Amino acid sequence: MTVFWQILIDGFAISSLYALGATGFALIFGVSGVLNLSHGSLMVAAVVAAWAAGDSLHVGPYTGAAIGVAVGFSLSMLTYFVVVSPLQHTRKIREEEKEIFILTATLLWGIMIQQLIAYFYTDNAKTVAPIVQGVIKIVGVRTPANEIFTAIVCGLAIAILWLLVNRTRAGKAVLAASMNPRGITLLGVELSQVYVAVWAIYGVLVGVAGVLLGMFLGISSYSAGPLTASAFSIVVLGGLGSVPGALIAAYVVGYLETITAYLISPAYRTIPALLLLVAVMYVRPRGLLGRR
Amino acid sequence: MQIPTARLLLIGLGAIVLASFLPLWASGYILGLLTIAYYFGVFAMAWDLLFGFAGEVNFGPTFLIGVGAYTAGILDNLYQPPIWLCIAAGTAAAITGGLVLALPALRLRGPYFGLTTLVAVLILQNLIVVDAHLTGGEIGLTVPDVISISDTTNYLIALWFMAISGAILFSLSRSPVGLILQASGQDAVQAGALGFNVTKHKLTAFVISAFFSGLAGTLMVFYLGSASVGTFIDITVGVQIIISAVLGGRRTILGAVLGAIFLIAMSEALRPLGDLSNFIVFGMALIVVLIYPNGFFGLLTRTREDV
Amino acid sequence: MSATERAHLEVTGLTKRFGGLVAVKEMSLSVAAGKILGLIGPNGSGKSTVMKLIMGIERPDGGSVRISGVEVCGWPSHRIARMGAGIVFQHSRPLHRQTVLENIKLALLPDKLTRLFADPQTDARARAIAARVGLTAVLDRRPGTLPFADLRKIEIAKAIARDPQVLLIDEPFAGLTARETAAFSDLICELRDDGRAVLLVDHNVKSVSRLVDRVIAMYVGERIAEGSADEVMRNETVRRVYLGGTIETAARPESSFRDAATPFLEIDKVSVHYGKAQALEQVSIHVHEREFVAVVGLNGAGKTTLFNTISGLLPYAGEVRRQGATLRGQSAAAIARGGIVQCPEGRELFVDMTVRENLDLGGQHLPTEESGAQIEWLFELFPILRDRQRQAAGTLSGGEQQMLTIARALMMKPKLLMLDEPTLGLAPVILEQISKALERLRQTTPITVLLAEQNVTFALPHADRVYVLEHARIVWEGDPAKFAAEGGAGLL
Repeated sequence: MTVFWQILIDGFAISSLYALGATGFALIFGVSGVLNLSHGSLMVAAVVAAWAAGDSLHVGPYTGAAIGVAVGFSLSMLTYFVVVSPLQHTRKIREEEKEIFILTATLLWGIMIQQLIAYFYTDNAKTVAPIVQGVIKIVGVRTPANEIFTAIVCGLAIAILWLLVNRTRAGKAVLAASMNPRGITLLGVELSQVYVAVWAIYGVLVGVAGVLLGMFLGISSYSAGPLTASAFSIVVLGGLGSVPGALIAAYVVGYLETITAYLISPAYRTIPALLLLVAVMYVRPRGLLGRR
Repeated sequence: MQIPTARLLLIGLGAIVLASFLPLWASGYILGLLTIAYYFGVFAMAWDLLFGFAGEVNFGPTFLIGVGAYTAGILDNLYQPPIWLCIAAGTAAAITGGLVLALPALRLRGPYFGLTTLVAVLILQNLIVVDAHLTGGEIGLTVPDVISISDTTNYLIALWFMAISGAILFSLSRSPVGLILQASGQDAVQAGALGFNVTKHKLTAFVISAFFSGLAGTLMVFYLGSASVGTFIDITVGVQIIISAVLGGRRTILGAVLGAIFLIAMSEALRPLGDLSNFIVFGMALIVVLIYPNGFFGLLTRTREDV
Repeated sequence: MSATERAHLEVTGLTKRFGGLVAVKEMSLSVAAGKILGLIGPNGSGKSTVMKLIMGIERPDGGSVRISGVEVCGWPSHRIARMGAGIVFQHSRPLHRQTVLENIKLALLPDKLTRLFADPQTDARARAIAARVGLTAVLDRRPGTLPFADLRKIEIAKAIARDPQVLLIDEPFAGLTARETAAFSDLICELRDDGRAVLLVDHNVKSVSRLVDRVIAMYVGERIAEGSADEVMRNETVRRVYLGGTIETAARPESSFRDAATPFLEIDKVSVHYGKAQALEQVSIHVHEREFVAVVGLNGAGKTTLFNTISGLLPYAGEVRRQGATLRGQSAAAIARGGIVQCPEGRELFVDMTVRENLDLGGQHLPTEESGAQIEWLFELFPILRDRQRQAAGTLSGGEQQMLTIARALMMKPKLLMLDEPTLGLAPVILEQISKALERLRQTTPITVLLAEQNVTFALPHADRVYVLEHARIVWEGDPAKFAAEGGAGLL
C-alpha cells in the first residue's frame, strides 16, 4: 500500500515539474508559433548557473535559485532576439520553409548551449542545494520535504500564470494574440511587444522549472535532449497550442513514468509515454485538446 | 542558371578519380577521416532527396541509418552469416523502417511529421539502451567481421560507393521522375491535378532515401567494426547530417557531399578544443542558417529568381 | 442528343458537406463538346467547390460526375486528370525552380516511377503547346521573372497539355488588363473550338458574358438561375442576391463637410500588388470628417485590399494621408490606436473568449471606467450583445458576430470606422438592425465611416458619396441618387 502512496506523491511532484516546463513550451508555441527545441538546454543552463553560483560564489540556496532563474530569462530573450526573430522576419527564406528553419535553428542553438555548458562545467551531473531540506511523513510515506516544496512552487507558478493571462488586461491581450494575431493587431496591440512579453515569461518559467529540477534530481548537459523531448511529447499529447491540454498531458506522462519506474523498472520509464505519443500521432494527431 | 547535368557529372567523375589517388600520399588518419566523411555524404544526400524532392523534413535520419546498422550488426553477432547477407538484411530493415515512417507522413501536416521522425529516433534509442544484452546498450556493439583492415581499401570502397550513390541520386533528381517528385513535394494538389499519384511517388522517395541511408549505415558498421548510439543514432548525429545538406545547399544532392566533408573536416580540425569544437561547428551552421540559407551551392549558382 | 453532341461533362445531384455546412447541394449541370458554360456566384456560393469536386480534389458526398460518359465521382484527382480533365486554378502555381519549358514538360509526363530519361517527343510537344498559348519567347526563363499574364498562360498550357476533353477554369481574367483579357478570351474560344467542354467559374457575369453559351448562377450551394448571360444578368433573384432590393438614398452634400481643403482621409494614387497580380491600380479616394462614404464593388474588386492598405497591413505605392500627414511608416497597431479602425470581412473575433472579453479587449487602451461606460453605450446600440455577454463569441450567430465585430471596433472610439462587407451572408432581419445602428451612429456621433459593400441596397441609404471599384480601379464617383438612378446597371 505504501507503494501506492509513494507513486502518488512522487508522480505528483515530477508531473508538476513537467507541467511547468510544458506550459512554457506550449505558451511559446501557442502565441509565437515556435517549437523551441532548445527548451531543455535552457533549463539545464538555469540549473548549472544555480549550481555554479553555489559552488564558486558560495551563495545561499535562495540567491543561487534567483541567479538560475535570471540566467534562464536572459537566455530565453537571447534565443528570441538572435535566433527566432531574425528568421521570422527574413526575406531570404520562403514563408512555407520558415517553420522548418526555425526548428532547425533552435535545435542547433540548443546543442550549442549544451556543448558550451559541457565545456566549462563538464558533463557530470550537478545538483543544486535544495531550499527546503529534511523529510516529512505523509500518509506513512517518508517524503523529502523538497518534493512537496517543488509541487507547491510549480502549482503557484502555474496559478500565477493563469491569473496573469485570464485576469489582467495585458494577459488577455496575449491570449487573444494566440487566438488571432491579426485581430489583436487591428485592436491596436503591437504583436512584437506581445512576443517579447511571452518569451520573457517563458524565460522565467524555464528558469524556475530548471532550478527546481536541479534540486530534485542530478542534471547534466546530457539531460538537455531528453528534457526537450519530454516537453514536446507532452505538448503534442495535450494538443499543440493548448495550454490546458499540456497541463493534463503532463500529469498523464508524469504518472506513466513513475508507475513504470516503480512497477516495472526505472530503465524503462520513458517507453510507455513514447508509445502513447506514437499511438496519438497515428490516431489523433491533434492531441487531446489541440486546436491548430 | 542550372549547371547542366552532364557537365556536373563529368566534373564529379574527375574529382572522384583524383580522390582515388589520395592514398598514395595521405596518412591513414586522413584516409580514415575521409572514409567517414564519404559515408556521411551518402547520409546527407539521402536526406536531401527526401527533403528537396518529396518535401518532407526528416529530423531523425538516424532512425533509418540506425535500423540498418544495428540490424546488420546484431545479425553478424548472433549468427555470423556472410557480410553481404548482413548488409542486405540491414538495408531491407532500413527500407521497412522507411515505409513505417512514410505512413504517418502521408497523413500529417507541418511540424507534426518532423516531430514524428524525432520521436522515432527517441524510441529507437530507448529500445537499444534497454535491450542491452542484444545491442550492447549505451556502450555499443562490436561486430566480429569487417570489410577490410586496410585503410586504403576502406577508403576506396567508401569513395566509390559515395560516387555511385551520388550519381544515381543526382541523376534521379534531374530526371523526369525527379521532376514529378519535386512537384509532389512542392504542391501536392497541383501534382494530383496534373495526373500524378502523389502518394505513390512520396512512398518511393522514402524507400529510396531509406535504401541509401541503410546501405551506407551497414557499410559503415563493417568499416568501424562497431556500432553505438553515439555514432549512429544520437540526435546530434542527425543534426550533423541535416547541417551537411543545408550547408551544401538544399536540393542540390551534390552539395550535401561538400557539406559533409566540410563538417567532418572542421570537427576534426577543432578537436583539440574539446567540447568547444562542437560548439563552434554548430555555431557556424547556425550562422549559415540565419544568413546564407542557400548554402555553398546556393552561393555558387545564385540567381535572382530564387528566393 | 446525337453522338457528336453528347455532353463531355455531366454532373447530377452533386453534394458536399463540410461538417455541418452544406457547401454544395444537389448541383446539376452539363457541358457539351464545343460549348462554354459559365458558373457564377458570390463568395461562399460553392462554385469553386463544384469545380474541385468535379476534378476530384474534394470528395463528393453524393451525386454523379461523368466525363465522356464515364462515371468518375469519388476517383482521386490524378485518375480524373488522366481520364481527360484539366483544371486552371485561380492562383498560379508553377514550380519556381524550373523553367517554363520544364513546367510544361511536367504536365506531359506519364505517371511512372521508372522514367529516368525524357522521351524526345516530349520536348517538341511542350514547345508546340507553348507556341499555342504564346510562351515561346520565355521558355527558358523561370516563373519568378515573368509578368503575371505569362504565369496565367503557363497554367493554361499545363492544363491543356494532355489534350483534355473537359477544361475547368477558375476566375480566368482576375488580375489581367483589358488587353490581356481580350487575348485570353480568344484563346479560350480557340480551345473550345477544338471540341472541348469548358466550364468557367467567376464572380460576375459581365466578365465572362462574351464567351459563354450559357450561364448558371449559384447561391449558398444551390442553383438559382440558368440561361443566356443576358437572361441571368436580368434575373430578379440573381440581382437581389448580388445587389439587394430597391434603393433609397439620404445623402448630405459634400459641401456640408467642413474640411474641404484637407479631407480627413486621403488615398492618393495607391497601387498594390499581390505577387504579380495588381490588386489596386492608382486608386484615389477621399473622405471628409463625419462623412459616410460607400465603396461598392463585387468580390475581387479590391475593397478588402484597399482597407488593409489603409490599415497598414500591406506594402503599397502612393500615399495614404490622415489630416494631411502621411500614414506611411506607422505600424498597423499604431494606425489603429490613432483612430482608424477596421471591421474586417473575416471579423477576426476571439472565438474562444466571451462577448464581454472581446469588447474589453477593444477598450484596453481606455481607462477602466471609460471602457465600462463605452460598453454600456454599445449594449444600448446592440441590445442582443448584453444578453449574450457571457457567451463565447464563437457560439454566436452570424449576425450577432457581425454586431460584436462592429461594437468591438467602436470600443476603440475610432475617428474613422472602416466596415468591410458587414452584410455578407446575413439574413434581412439582421441587416435591419445593423442598418438602424449605422443610422444612429450617423445622427448622434461625429464618427466618419468608410463602408465597402456589394449589397448596394444596404449601402446607399447610409452614404453621402459613392465610389465604384471594379477590377482594382475606381470607375465611378458621385452621389448616391445618381448611382441609384443608373440602377447600378454596370455593376453586374
